[in-house]
Amino acid sequence: MTAHIGTADIGTADRSAPLLEVEAVSVRYGAVTALTAVDLAVGPGEIVAVVGPNGAGKSSLMGVIAGIVAPAAGRVRFRGEDILGQPLERTVRRGIAFVPEGRHVLSGLTVLENLVLGATVRADRAAVAADIDFFLDLFPVLRERRDQPAGRLSGGEQQMLVIARALMSRPALLILDEPSLGLAPRITDRVYETVAEVRGRGVSILVVEQNAARALKAADRTYVLNGGAVRLSGTREALAGHPRFEVAYFGLADAEHEGAGGQEGQEGK
Amino acid sequence: MTANAIQILVDALSVGGLYALTSLGIGLIFSVMRLANFAHAEFVTVPAYVMFALSGHPALMSIGAAVLTAVALALAVERIAFRPLRRVDPAAMLVASFAVSMLLQKLLVFAVGSRIVPLDPLPMLGEAIRFGGVQVSALKLVTILACVVLLAALTWFLRRTRFGLEMRAAAENFTMSRLLGVRANRVIAIAFALSGVLAAVVAVLFSAQTGFVQPRLGVQLVIVGFVATVIGGLGSLFGAAVGGLAVGAAATLLQAFLPPELRPFREAFLFAAVILVLLVRPQGLFPARGLKERV
Amino acid sequence: MIDAGTVRRLVPLLLLVGLVLAATLLAGTAGIVVQRRVTLGLINLVAVVSLYVFMGNSGVLNFSTVGFMAIGAYSSALLTMSPAAKATFLPDLPAWLAAAQLHPAAGALAGGMVPAAVALAVGPPIMRLSGIAAGMATLSLMFIAYIVLGNWTSLTGGQQSLMGLPIYVGLWTATGGAIFAVAVAFAYQETRWAIALRASREDEVAARATGVGVVRQRLVAFVLGAFLAGIAGVLFAHFLGTLRVESFYLDPAFLFIAMLVVGGARSLTGAVAGVAAISVLTELLRLTEIGVPLPATGIVVATPPGLGDVALAAAMLLIILFRPQGIAGGREIALPGRPKAAGRLPRTRSSR
Repeated sequence: MTAHIGTADIGTADRSAPLLEVEAVSVRYGAVTALTAVDLAVGPGEIVAVVGPNGAGKSSLMGVIAGIVAPAAGRVRFRGEDILGQPLERTVRRGIAFVPEGRHVLSGLTVLENLVLGATVRADRAAVAADIDFFLDLFPVLRERRDQPAGRLSGGEQQMLVIARALMSRPALLILDEPSLGLAPRITDRVYETVAEVRGRGVSILVVEQNAARALKAADRTYVLNGGAVRLSGTREALAGHPRFEVAYFGLADAEHEGAGGQEGQEGK
Repeated sequence: MTANAIQILVDALSVGGLYALTSLGIGLIFSVMRLANFAHAEFVTVPAYVMFALSGHPALMSIGAAVLTAVALALAVERIAFRPLRRVDPAAMLVASFAVSMLLQKLLVFAVGSRIVPLDPLPMLGEAIRFGGVQVSALKLVTILACVVLLAALTWFLRRTRFGLEMRAAAENFTMSRLLGVRANRVIAIAFALSGVLAAVVAVLFSAQTGFVQPRLGVQLVIVGFVATVIGGLGSLFGAAVGGLAVGAAATLLQAFLPPELRPFREAFLFAAVILVLLVRPQGLFPARGLKERV
Repeated sequence: MIDAGTVRRLVPLLLLVGLVLAATLLAGTAGIVVQRRVTLGLINLVAVVSLYVFMGNSGVLNFSTVGFMAIGAYSSALLTMSPAAKATFLPDLPAWLAAAQLHPAAGALAGGMVPAAVALAVGPPIMRLSGIAAGMATLSLMFIAYIVLGNWTSLTGGQQSLMGLPIYVGLWTATGGAIFAVAVAFAYQETRWAIALRASREDEVAARATGVGVVRQRLVAFVLGAFLAGIAGVLFAHFLGTLRVESFYLDPAFLFIAMLVVGGARSLTGAVAGVAAISVLTELLRLTEIGVPLPATGIVVATPPGLGDVALAAAMLLIILFRPQGIAGGREIALPGRPKAAGRLPRTRSSR
């Protein structure tokens, strides 16, 4: 029973000085246990994915890291410092930009105002203006609609905006919760192109996906979360050829339609 | 236009303007923390008493003292009474604001007694102004002017300043704003401070119109302010301003045109309108964005 | 056919009734001033219990209790005053009402039924609202009642005091009223309707999904609460013998809500505890205003008048701040060592 609950790490990525360390985090909502002793690490410059079916506990895990959800047990360290139990607005000041599921543009504010708000924690006005220009160049559609309420953008445009807004804080770690949810494949491609580009600029990325294939392709390392625990984790190369991942991977892809229970049972045996 | 119509128009605008400032003061706080703040009544009454205590001093000085008092009071109430309750549900905060209001009111009664005291913070505006054949109260004109200036200033603050942007963001989605680095405590404190400024201005103008102060001075205003906020749309500042103006205008018009035997009931019509609006458009006439009860 | 289970279920009721009786018996041995204070406290208890029936079970904020109290008080007054008194104070009454003089019991029944009927008429739309909107709507109801009663001069005397009511409420009548209210509230909260309503209090969406008719269940509680509020108004009217609309405005509205919140809005025990705690506190503060003689010195220490009100409001605020679930914390009173009666309720604290 305990054999598959712990992290079965089969990767060889450099874990010498992780940026983010999640240690034995458990989350409970009343009588319901959402996460059980989850460990996770993100190294500098890494793209790390967390995949798993609906209800696997992915969003709870991201909530804990962002400071929205208080865990029942465990520790979260960022650059070696304990960050649990801090006010929410501290998260971004530490260098963690969190893009929650569902996009959450501030729909009554203009595109430009959204971007300006993204830089709330920065004092370097000139550089902020330059960054805004950079993102408006990167996403020309945002430039076109710079002074329109963000609520009028399409879903894909809103996703671009929230990513740009998050990056406006110049974070060390960008957390994306379900960035491809409800987007057309072409737009999802664009999102992941941006992710790759952002990493090239030295930002680490932690991305949560139901779309396991997409995440596996983009990530250096992937964690498979199911039933509130990490079932498997490893580098792209290690996982791609690993028989157990094949089971988990296809199982999870199926699970979106059929529920995770049966698959989990199979894997346990 | 006849002289009478102009009189009624000036009345409607000056009363509506005061109500608009009151409902904006309530609406500012509601929009960022979902608190319907009863204690706003005392944010009006207390500075009025400060002006009474400073009667005889230059008007500018007593008005300045009134504004400072209101801001300090609003900030203190937020810090002591509401901050600890922020995570409790809105109904508990409403009851707490009721308790704060009562506490301040009883403190006033204890300190200065419950009798009515005369107050004229703007004695220089006692004269009426003549336009041709029409006599208009200078005080009412100044009231209208002050309301227009304050509304414009508030709009500028919200649209053009960094804190204004943060407040609008917090009003729409508090959690997301905090994730972007907006400091919850600071935004809420600014909202309370602004609310205090608005309340102090209302105290000056309203007590100048009535000519007296008593410990319940603010209560009636705030009740009407609530009505206006609900009608305009809880959480929407534009709605609060329009709602206040509309309620003031409606009250003046009802007073002018309702058959005499129904006039005493005119406020009952207003409250019936509140219930009606809540039923037909529970979010008010100008619904705010993202008005979810906060988690 | 009383088995052990039934007895155990009735324990909270018996204990609460015992508490009321104990207060009455204690007051009976004291002077007339204390007796009158206790009587007023018991009348307040009826009002707070009426508030509990709706607010406690539904979790929906309600400011309208004093409005229904006022309606009950004036209904009973108009039906039981002598025609001579009415001719003096209310010369413009319609003829049939001017001539009516019912037995006090019939007047009291009407004093409960009229508010209940009003609640039944205005309730259905309002019961759809929750949270702040419900607070605003019921607050509006209270203001409407206040404005209409305060200006309907031919019927109520308007801003004048209405005098000449038969005075038949004393300590024991009020005790009877309090026990009646507690028993009705207890009987109601044991019904399946009330249990469904409390389920909706914990999670309105889920309750709606499982087919609980939330609006209808709330209406039942609202009408029953209005009936009891009317009874409280009747007791109040015929205790004082005079009526003023000011008696049914913001101050008592605040007092009753504060009593319920301080005691704990989620149980009948909380309602009773809140009334008891605040009444005792008020009384102590009043005593210090009169003056407390320091033993062996001949010096009388008195606090300045008005300080009591300040302390009361401060105490309520402190309780709301530091014990938001109230004295009773949602539980019913129980004998030591027994399982807590409210244990069967879901004990989620999701709202905070």
